[in-house]
Amino acid sequence: MFKQTRLRSVVLAATLTGLIAYCVMGGFYAREIVVEIAILAILAISLDVVAGFGGMVSLCHGAIMGIAAYAYGILTVKFGLPPLPSAVAAVAGAAVFGTVVGWITGRTSGIFFIMATLAFGQMAYTLIFKSQWLGGDDGMSGLPRFDLSWLGIKMGSSLTYGLFAIALTAAVYIAAAWVLRSAFGRTLGGIHANETRMKALGVNTILHRARAMGFSALLAGIAGIVAAQHTQFISPELLFWTISGEVLIVVILGGLGTLIGPVIGAVAFISLKHQVSGITDHWHIVVGLLLIVIVVAGGRGLYGQSEHWLAMRAGKAEDKTGDKSGDRGHA
Amino acid sequence: MDTGYWALQFLNALQFSMLLFLLSIGLTVIFGLLHFVNLAHGALYMLGAYIGVSAAASFGSYWAAFFLAPVGVTIIGAILYFTLIERLRHAGPMNQVLVTFGLIFVFLDLVRMTWGDIALGLEAPAALAGSSEFAGISYPTYRFFIIAVGAVVMAALWVGLTRTQIGAMIRAGVENGNMAAALGINVNRLFFLVFCVGCALAGLAGVIAAPVFSATTGMGISILIPTLIVVVIGGLGSLEGAIAGSLIVGFIETLGAVFLPEVAAISSYVLLAAVLILRPQGLIPARG
Repeated sequence: MFKQTRLRSVVLAATLTGLIAYCVMGGFYAREIVVEIAILAILAISLDVVAGFGGMVSLCHGAIMGIAAYAYGILTVKFGLPPLPSAVAAVAGAAVFGTVVGWITGRTSGIFFIMATLAFGQMAYTLIFKSQWLGGDDGMSGLPRFDLSWLGIKMGSSLTYGLFAIALTAAVYIAAAWVLRSAFGRTLGGIHANETRMKALGVNTILHRARAMGFSALLAGIAGIVAAQHTQFISPELLFWTISGEVLIVVILGGLGTLIGPVIGAVAFISLKHQVSGITDHWHIVVGLLLIVIVVAGGRGLYGQSEHWLAMRAGKAEDKTGDKSGDRGHA
Repeated sequence: MDTGYWALQFLNALQFSMLLFLLSIGLTVIFGLLHFVNLAHGALYMLGAYIGVSAAASFGSYWAAFFLAPVGVTIIGAILYFTLIERLRHAGPMNQVLVTFGLIFVFLDLVRMTWGDIALGLEAPAALAGSSEFAGISYPTYRFFIIAVGAVVMAALWVGLTRTQIGAMIRAGVENGNMAAALGINVNRLFFLVFCVGCALAGLAGVIAAPVFSATTGMGISILIPTLIVVVIGGLGSLEGAIAGSLIVGFIETLGAVFLPEVAAISSYVLLAAVLILRPQGLIPARG
């Protein structure tokens, strides 16, 4: 069950402040990194909503992000529609795709759910990869950014775009936290904990799962829009299943089922990637080993492990999960 | 001309099916018996091809590669088994997916460090070079050899699983592991044996594929998804399922790519999704 503890709020505020500071004081390269972190953080939050709180480990979140990016590309580049309504429609399209996948796969669980989402993600990837109209392997370019000049904001500047991406990350976190704290979020947690009991209580578990996937896909769609506008170029690579696998790595790296963990995971993942790539060409072996170590060490991730450690120190060792550590004091 | 073209495509499909079978049979029995999801199975296939290339280069013979690649991959598999897989057996599918996904990355970079990024060819043995006539059409002898290896392994596994005591023990383990253990079967030793055989077959698939497709760093990831599709649509842990699944996926992908390229690309994913939703136990489930 999700609790926005004080610790989580502090860590979120500190992380966002750090990103803003890095974005404002750093140069063009720093701002590129900030946007990369923001895209990955949004996508990881979206995956944590279903994987961490609903037990639905999706391997199609990369594809969902890509669907939104391509929908945005089609509406703006192919049909010449204005960016803002196009983005709203693209995110809605991603949410519809997520809901449909969630509904169809609602009866499956465990490895079958993983495989089924993989199948749907790969279908979307293959269709886009094969489509001549969408540029196939070469992708699509010339996607516009939002035009906010009527507000006096120049989205073309790297600083503005970096801040815009950070603001969206904060908004996505708040939206996810709000939904997880609602009656719907509690029900989702109940289904994750004991599906049979929730069914006995009269809950339509498949409908809830589908809605959770839909909401998660909506957030993933936002990541897709930020990614599409960032480089103003999209390619089918966005949808390939290994991207979904990488997002899952980020969630685990930060801490599954903590919501703030994925944000920390995204910061750590991108920073590490740029550090390691500077030294060696073999960045993937580092990620692979890191992932194995984290899972074998207990799978709590960077934030999850710290929270667990703090809870133990505070004498709450009898609590089994980090989540419950916030039960006292501030709910 | 037309029938000859069809026959050629039929043989290509059969040959791809046999490679898929060699990979999926190991994966499916490990899945069925250990309940372990090994995404790194494709990486073992890749390692088989690269070890084969090196073995052939050192010993100057394809046959050295043919025997050493499965042995080498089995040793790597055994190390993996004792370091990671044994302790992850009860860790749930997500942790298994994550760790073996991590292993894909590790093996990928290890191969790039050891053998470099360029595709490495492996020469087919002289005895199998050239083409043979079959039913009036000419087809590379080496590809007949791949089909033959697949058929021999298929027959050997069928006899092994259905006609021997160890096969009966494995089937008992797939059916109900706890009950098999209670009846005095050393299930852990059985698990290890099955895992090693699965690795050896992945290595074998890699080395026999290398002369046709070359050893490339991308080969592990690209074969993984069709193999997983075979395993799921066939039914986890089922030999008959792996045979049926390999033939279905092999033929859909090969013939589809020739005759209906637009539809074929997604058809195996559609099949996978349909089986998962309508018949999650697979077409020919191992448990009755």
